[in-house]
Amino acid sequence: MTQLPTPGANPAEPPPAEPIPPSRPARPRWRETLGLLARNPTAAVSAVVLVLIVLVALFDETLAPDGPNDQDQSIALQPPSWSHPFGTDEFGRDILSRVVLGAGTSLRVGFLSVAFALVVGTLIGLLAGFYGKWVDDVLMRLMDMLFAFPAVLLAIAVVAIRGTGPANAILAIGIVYVPIFARVTRASVLGVREEVYVRASRSIGASDFRLLTRHVLPNAAPPIIVQTSISLAFAVLAEAALSFLGLGPRRPNPSWGLMLADGRGFIEQAWWYSVFPGLAIVLTVLCFNLLGDGLRDVLDPRQRTLTAGSGR
Amino acid sequence: MRTTRLLPLLTAGVLLLASCGGGEDVDTGGGGGGGDNVLVAAVAAQPDQFDPHATTAYASFQVLENVYDTLIVPNPDDLTMEPSLAESWETSEDGLTWTFTLRDGVTFHDGSEFDSADVVYSYRRIIDEELANSYRFATVADIAAPDPRTVVITLTQPTPNLLEQIGAFKGMSIVSENAAEEFDLQTEANGTGPFRLESSDANSTVLTAYEDYWDGAPSVDGVEFRYISEGTAALTALQNGEVQWTDNVPPQNIESLADDDSVELGSATSVEYYYLSLNYDRAPFDNPQVRRAIATALDREEIAQAARFGAAQPNQTAIPEGSAYYLDYAPYTPDEDAARQLIEQSGVPTPITLGLMVTDEDAESVAAAQVIASQLEPIGVNVEIEEEDLATWLDREAQGDMDSFLFSWIGNIDPADFYEQQHLSTGGSNYQGYSNPQVDDLLTRASTETDQAARKDLYDQAARIIVDDASYIYLFNPDVVQAWAPGLTGYTIRADAAINFENVELP
Repeated sequence: MTQLPTPGANPAEPPPAEPIPPSRPARPRWRETLGLLARNPTAAVSAVVLVLIVLVALFDETLAPDGPNDQDQSIALQPPSWSHPFGTDEFGRDILSRVVLGAGTSLRVGFLSVAFALVVGTLIGLLAGFYGKWVDDVLMRLMDMLFAFPAVLLAIAVVAIRGTGPANAILAIGIVYVPIFARVTRASVLGVREEVYVRASRSIGASDFRLLTRHVLPNAAPPIIVQTSISLAFAVLAEAALSFLGLGPRRPNPSWGLMLADGRGFIEQAWWYSVFPGLAIVLTVLCFNLLGDGLRDVLDPRQRTLTAGSGR
Repeated sequence: MRTTRLLPLLTAGVLLLASCGGGEDVDTGGGGGGGDNVLVAAVAAQPDQFDPHATTAYASFQVLENVYDTLIVPNPDDLTMEPSLAESWETSEDGLTWTFTLRDGVTFHDGSEFDSADVVYSYRRIIDEELANSYRFATVADIAAPDPRTVVITLTQPTPNLLEQIGAFKGMSIVSENAAEEFDLQTEANGTGPFRLESSDANSTVLTAYEDYWDGAPSVDGVEFRYISEGTAALTALQNGEVQWTDNVPPQNIESLADDDSVELGSATSVEYYYLSLNYDRAPFDNPQVRRAIATALDREEIAQAARFGAAQPNQTAIPEGSAYYLDYAPYTPDEDAARQLIEQSGVPTPITLGLMVTDEDAESVAAAQVIASQLEPIGVNVEIEEEDLATWLDREAQGDMDSFLFSWIGNIDPADFYEQQHLSTGGSNYQGYSNPQVDDLLTRASTETDQAARKDLYDQAARIIVDDASYIYLFNPDVVQAWAPGLTGYTIRADAAINFENVELP
């Protein structure tokens, strides 16, 4: 079914005679992005460190020198040594092993909660931005309500209602980030939906679904990708905060926030108890943030042209 | 229906970490010294209320101990009963009538005279309104005041521990006649104690010296109880001289404090005990062999070490060594193989999943639970630690909504306080659902046995069965540990953890 072109509807359409830049990359865009990222030293190092952290989290059981819950009170609160590089806690558990196992918890909660927020938030933002009018009003006012709560407070409220545990921590943190993704997506979609290619596609009869998935979303994506990286940083931090408050995973299973909370009581006798989990949190959060910054530079079209241009 | 739960010495509230301020003056109500002679005491928690007959919170009793009096009080050194508002008492031949002669010249903080009508009013209030401690008057038939200086308590059956029941702690305080009508006892107080309750807010409770106290005005002009939930912060405040006394000493700091000149440390074995209990209403935990297997697998030394860093005495019964009612009975030796065998004999397939409910407001419980989890794993019992805030914990306990629970009771002084409510089939605190007719019989007989030796023997028999059945799996008696500024005198650390500042003198 072909729709007839409406004559004179697009007077602003530039003549196609204008030459398309010949530098249109032959390689796919994601590879170009990676290439640019690699030339940003901070972002590149962050990405490498994050990959290492993810590997540690994936192979935690294999990498951990001891069982994370193995107790031996004869070696309680030992300072760092060759046999226990990060020292031991008050039960004689190896802190290195617990930090390694904690990586899994932190990253799992971080990734899954951001994934939840990404899917739900992006969908809401996409619909709100694309359809506008009352859809926009209803959805975004709902998001404003969520956004009005301080993040950690909202997360605590969710955990208070649903109970503690990793699944609920994921949900709690995820809900907190939904409005952020919704807003970022909506703002980006608002810019994209009036673009010529969208209107062109609509004019040849593309369905809303096709418009959204093929044209709007891919072109609205860069800010969402940046937001994802930054949100991951905050999600890891939020997970630590919830665990610290005792709302995360159950003891005796390790989590960075929980170790920080437990180590706090021993700060005078055993600095290593809270310092190493603390460093793990700092490193992960810092890397996600730096990577997010790098991605922002790389994905920004204006910046992109500049960097790409100077790079050649 | 409970003796006092020890409130958390360490809570995990990060937001409460900092409690600052210091040196604010306290209005001593017409005294000369201003704020200079005020003792600042750091305590872990805010009192829930100040009604001595209604509260069960340790945080409240810390304050009330200094505001109210009882007829009889425990001697601070050995907890034997001695006169307070009652000067003397005698018992009839049949043990059913107790006559108390009251002290002369005692006044309440509002200036009114203390007499027998106040005693009758206070006790009737507890009984008639069925307040927290009404069970202590279970055998009381009548309380009469034949004259202003005499109170006669008539009993339905001999009650050898009547003095402990009415004097062991400030839950049995004497308030002025009609106090509940004239005062809002939740927030106000009208006692006969050495201090009057001046004010209380979210940061502290302030007491001022009562100059007309019958035993002589206290040496200090007042006491400020400042809430510092974080033990490390409380200690720092003490070391900085911001506070002069605290009972919020993290156990892991005790060792290093011993050689710290800026702090004086006191400790005593307490009448508090930690226990683990399994719910009889949930299979397979009603199986006696499973219960015994768990009791056998536990290494109490290790648990006490992790929870209290050695500031505790492992015990397999409730009553601490040193009490006249102590029973040297320890049938369980930590033995993995024996425990595994018991489980095999029980026929219950492993692994068994055991939910262990603890409150996250008590660091000792959380630590003990982690050690228990690691000790039970090898015998095929997978422990899932369920941490709850105290209110939820108490609620779930009351509803029996748990596989097992771990916490502590302050047992006070009399053996009835250690065993009766927890292990009688009809006991008000028998949340595990224990029912053994033999124990019921022994405990009931013990409660009316007037011969002390025979009474101890009955309690010993009951305790043996309770331990063998593992109704409670007793873990340890923690030490009471308190710290104060060097040079502070006139304070006695007590096994019942009551804190009394009547005779305290600041350095």
